[in-house]
Amino acid sequence: MVAQLLNGLVYGGLLYIVAVGLVLIFGLRRVVNFAHGSLFMIGAFVGFTIATRYGFWVGMLGSVLTLAVLGLLLDALVFKPLRDQDHNVTLLVTFGILLVLEDLAQTVWGKDFRSLPPPDLLKGTVAILGQDFPSYRLMVIGVAALVAAGLSLWLRFSKIGLYVRASSVDPVTTAVQGVNTDRIGAVVVALGTALAGLSGTVAAPLLAISPSMGGYILIESFIVVVIGGLGSFAGAFVAALVIGQIHNFGVVHMPWAATMIPFVLMVAVLVWRPTGIAGNRV
Amino acid sequence: MDSGGATPMTHHAALSWRAWGLIALAVAAGAALPPLLASTLVLTLLTQAAISGILATSVGALLRMSGVVSFGHATFYGIAAYLIALSIKHQWMAAEAAVVLALVVPTVLAFVLGLGIVRVPGMAFSMLTLAIGQAFHEFAVKARAVSGGDDGLAIALPPELFGLPIAVFQRPHSAFVLCWLTLAAVIFALYRVAHSRFGRITEAIRENEERARFIGYETDVPRALVLAISGLVAAIAGVLFALYNAFVSPEVLHWSLSGSALIMAIIGGPRLLWGPAFGAMVFFLVKDLAGNLTEHWQALIGLTLIVVTVLLPVGLGGSLIRLLAALRGGAAR
Repeated sequence: MVAQLLNGLVYGGLLYIVAVGLVLIFGLRRVVNFAHGSLFMIGAFVGFTIATRYGFWVGMLGSVLTLAVLGLLLDALVFKPLRDQDHNVTLLVTFGILLVLEDLAQTVWGKDFRSLPPPDLLKGTVAILGQDFPSYRLMVIGVAALVAAGLSLWLRFSKIGLYVRASSVDPVTTAVQGVNTDRIGAVVVALGTALAGLSGTVAAPLLAISPSMGGYILIESFIVVVIGGLGSFAGAFVAALVIGQIHNFGVVHMPWAATMIPFVLMVAVLVWRPTGIAGNRV
Repeated sequence: MDSGGATPMTHHAALSWRAWGLIALAVAAGAALPPLLASTLVLTLLTQAAISGILATSVGALLRMSGVVSFGHATFYGIAAYLIALSIKHQWMAAEAAVVLALVVPTVLAFVLGLGIVRVPGMAFSMLTLAIGQAFHEFAVKARAVSGGDDGLAIALPPELFGLPIAVFQRPHSAFVLCWLTLAAVIFALYRVAHSRFGRITEAIRENEERARFIGYETDVPRALVLAISGLVAAIAGVLFALYNAFVSPEVLHWSLSGSALIMAIIGGPRLLWGPAFGAMVFFLVKDLAGNLTEHWQALIGLTLIVVTVLLPVGLGGSLIRLLAALRGGAAR
């Protein structure tokens, strides 16, 4: 029972890191990044490649930095130039990027599944209430908690954080007040993609690394973001925890319906509250 | 799209003799093609293109009428195909009734789903359709006892359907004509819908839902109806696919099929009724040619999507019209 709850937290934590990156980008640029799952996948491959040579932690750092740079490029070449276009345009362009990135990964790393062992330090297990639990999985929960705490503090106390929160609630008024969303846009998008890189590398020892690994996580994190309320950080946090538990429960007890449950929950939430559980709050 | 809301509705429903001529020409060209083409291979390709063209038309119609992008239309297509397979396998009903069922269920599903989710903002709608599509796909993969899982289901079609020998639906020569005529009929029906009173209301809602509500229109039901119409068209494509292939597997529900249909619609030009179908023809033709030249078909299609979306919002179909107009202008001068 404890192990099951913890496994739910592991999955929910991973989902949270991916989903909150989507929320960050949406909050400032008002677009949904369909390439986010592919960035997660690229993050896993970059982390894998560096980690096999220089160790896990260097791989994690390298992946985060690489993806941050990719985020800067994405903002400068896609989100910023297209900011005045119809939302559907940006959405379709990010879908195109998804296809290109998957093809790119297939060319560079091949179609085969790869796996990355966890760092030596975390190969063992820890006894929790009489049950052994892999220490790497505990670390994943820890990383997600750190991201959540760090992000909350940053949003609460930094100047950019204030702007991001303001922009998530009302982008027009925020811009009227003199906030230059273009300048902070680059930082925020880079942070969002860096988080995709972080989650990709952290997930690498738990999942099979392949060019198609981004699709599933993209869809699950979409469910999280939609349930939480587009642009809501707290909503994404709660929704990720709930979906994590539900996903795990489904996999253990009714595998044939495991993917249907989050979807049914999502539709139920939307019929009840079309703007998600958080409504328009951040 | 023509403007001038003050003109009587009946005016829009009337087609000029030239439009009729073009329709007749397109239909005749399709019907005349098989005897002229000896290659069964090309006809197979064209049949697939016509079926995908109907699916792309359904995605494009939703975008045109509601302004929302669907990443999940394979759901309606795939459910239709699976319903035919399942009702024939379990002998629930005659094959003809199965075809009707396969058209009705996705339409109703789209309508009910529409009522539930039409109020979510446009981008969330796109995310939702992707998630919904994937949920059905996963279900088809996991529920092996029902769907046969990844192995799929062979469809034991009866020797005759609607009085026609089953070979008519399956041999490329006749199947192509059938799919082509269905495509033309679908486009014509969508034209009539777009120029009906209902079409005008949906246009008003797409442009400004608040204003449409303010002047007294109920907006949820019309939007759900648009999704239902679009779902029905996708189901028609699914039925043709099931009859043509006599086999279904979870791929018919996968989001990459929804994505391809969307790409076809965008490349062809979703603002035109025939744009998505045109996009499907181009898609299959280029895919066949490019398949021999490059392994990077996916990157190629991704880049094309980006370029067309940003630089060519009217799509290839729209450019074709402009080109023809420019040529005619040049000839007149």
